[in-house]
Amino acid sequence: MKKRLNVLALILAVTLMLSTLAACGSSNNGGSTATNKPSNGGSAEPAKDTIKALLPPVSGNFQSNFDQMEKEFNELYPNLTLQIEPASWEDMTQKLDTQVNAGSPPDIAFMGSGGISKYLQQGMLMDITDVITDEMKNDFDAIPYDYMAYQGGQYGFPAYMEVHALGGNQKFLEEAGIDWKSVQQNGWTYDEFREAIKAGVVQNADGNGNTRYGFVFATAGVASKDYLQILAKSAGMPYFFDADMKYTYTSQNFLKLLTAVRDMIDDGSMPKELSSVDAGKRWNMFLTGQTMITGKGLATFENSANLNNAKIKANDGSAVAGSIEAQYIVLPVPAFFGNDYVPNTVVDGYVTFRGKKEPTQEHKENVAKAAYFLASGKVAAQTNNDLFSAHITETARKAAESMEVNRLPENVTAVENMLSHAVANRTDIPVEKAADAIKIETEVIVPKLQALLANEITPQEMYDAVKAAAIKTFGEDGIVQD
Amino acid sequence: MIQTVKPSTKKRKIKGDSVWGYTFIAVALLVFAMFTAYPVVSAFIISFQEYKPLGSTWVGLENYKDTFASELFWKSIKNTVIYTILTVPFALFISFAVAIMIIPFKKWLQTTFKAVYYLPAVASGVALSVVWLWIYDPMKSGIFNKVIGLFGIENQNWLGSSATAMLSLVIMSWLSSHGTSIIIYLAALLGIDNSYYEAAELDGANFFHKLWYIVIPFLKPTTLFLLVTGIIGSFQVFQNAYLMTGGGPDHATTMVGLLIFNNAFTYFEFGQASAQSLILAVIIAVISLIQFKFLGNDVEY
Repeated sequence: MKKRLNVLALILAVTLMLSTLAACGSSNNGGSTATNKPSNGGSAEPAKDTIKALLPPVSGNFQSNFDQMEKEFNELYPNLTLQIEPASWEDMTQKLDTQVNAGSPPDIAFMGSGGISKYLQQGMLMDITDVITDEMKNDFDAIPYDYMAYQGGQYGFPAYMEVHALGGNQKFLEEAGIDWKSVQQNGWTYDEFREAIKAGVVQNADGNGNTRYGFVFATAGVASKDYLQILAKSAGMPYFFDADMKYTYTSQNFLKLLTAVRDMIDDGSMPKELSSVDAGKRWNMFLTGQTMITGKGLATFENSANLNNAKIKANDGSAVAGSIEAQYIVLPVPAFFGNDYVPNTVVDGYVTFRGKKEPTQEHKENVAKAAYFLASGKVAAQTNNDLFSAHITETARKAAESMEVNRLPENVTAVENMLSHAVANRTDIPVEKAADAIKIETEVIVPKLQALLANEITPQEMYDAVKAAAIKTFGEDGIVQD
Repeated sequence: MIQTVKPSTKKRKIKGDSVWGYTFIAVALLVFAMFTAYPVVSAFIISFQEYKPLGSTWVGLENYKDTFASELFWKSIKNTVIYTILTVPFALFISFAVAIMIIPFKKWLQTTFKAVYYLPAVASGVALSVVWLWIYDPMKSGIFNKVIGLFGIENQNWLGSSATAMLSLVIMSWLSSHGTSIIIYLAALLGIDNSYYEAAELDGANFFHKLWYIVIPFLKPTTLFLLVTGIIGSFQVFQNAYLMTGGGPDHATTMVGLLIFNNAFTYFEFGQASAQSLILAVIIAVISLIQFKFLGNDVEY
């Protein structure tokens, strides 16, 4: 009897232990890329293969369409199965990084093209140049297509090219006397911008002592890198490195930019609590009328604003608390100190990964087919329409002809205008340099910017700190000195 | 049981019992070996390499040299020490005070209070952070700002300025889960025999005398345990800093745990992160040893 109890207890204990290991087992099976049966010499049927994709909510309806997408892909290629794993924007990087570092990443992951150098340095990206057909390549617009290339290799397909801009409230802009139509067509200089946002400040706008600010930009949380990056592009520093591979954020333009950042707060046009404004807060402030211009602004925000306006009109209580009806106006970032306006164009797309084992040629072809399916045609047309972003493939443009979009025509023209100023992607920067630049940005620039915004250091001190870090990383000869 | 059989069977019988013992331990030992011992050994090896998933290169003590030369590392150690000094003693004091206040109640009331105080431990840290971010909203309409506005103080940028960022995290810790400590203190308090209190009352002791001369000495083992585990936990603090401030502004709230996390998962420098985590482990071990030496000489568990 005692022995039987012992055995029973032992079985329970082992079961408990095995259940903790069960999680290990499934993730190991998840990533292997070379498990397909090699097709026999005489067999006409292509071998079965599974392609795994890790995708965040690219657009509002994206994740609810996953089953439909998997089905359509399987109809197109009956021997291939597309397995999509959903992730949120917050944990997308975490999930991907964990899988990459374990050596078993998904075949396709959706991310910004800026991250390609980081994963290339780890050696985990799959170059699909040799399996891309001419038909696939010619479908894409040249500039966004090149964003997914790096140092001679093609690492996926672009989904869209977005311009990071600012967003204005039409009514407040007109109240402040700003000719927004002219700004959309011709852009504005920093001096014009500074005056405009000063004019947009209204003290005690809601009667409760809350100021309406002229300009708000999200600088906290996941949005922390955006502010300087977007402004720097139009301040004579379109890339981290210039044509001679020297680090550009040590030029006088950067110091002038930091001073401008400080000035806009000291003028009273931006809140002094700017360093705590995150993406959610900046949008909330726009919808509740606490700011005239918000940043960063994506074209799709117009859709969000329209949806909220509809909710207010319908009086159904689900609108944002305290929000007002607002017509969203796309506005370009100002050009600083006589430099050209360079929009911060961001290309997000489907990047192809490889695991520890070398992938077979067949599997590479299948992954390329899956990535192309996601980045073109109906899937891309639906996604880009939901995002209010321009189509970058011919097949998507064709598919979108039958879809309805509700946008202000001036905004459509404004975005096209900004995109026409887009600069080509730099594919010549070595991965180590790019990784070092990203490290300086995360470890020095962003923290110091938070202190600058909180008025704890001067622009000169921040500039000196960035310069010191740049010299330490790249040497005296590796930085711009002017 | 009297053994009258030959020595060989006698050995077998004793072996039979201990085999069960070892078998049961083996399960836990296996889990420990796989999930605790192996990663520590692996981290030790990685700390001497520049780690890449597809093949690492041996760099010897370079990671350790870089760590000791890194200003950010020492700043994070300083932040962590400040955080520990501000939170651990206060947490002990609060849980002790609450336990003392709960002990006179009836059994069912004690249980109710214990459950109430323990509830935050069950809530998700992320959900708590979302609420606290709302409380610390920097505009005039933020909850904390409204409260201090009643005293005429200007609205503060709680999480965005160096002066108040650390204070905000500390306040968050003061007002958070003391449930575990309270329950442990209550259990210890219940173990003090009533005869001691009666004897003290006969000698004319008031509440504070009883507290100082009976309760606190009796609770010394518990206090030492909570102090040691509190300091170990506080040195490893990561969640609040990561979710609330991300280590900012300007690294004012970057703790060692967060620094290691950034090195490993943001910059992909696993070698350096492993070196830093081993250095942290040594620091914690030394502090715990010192605590046992000074406070725990006469403590037996």
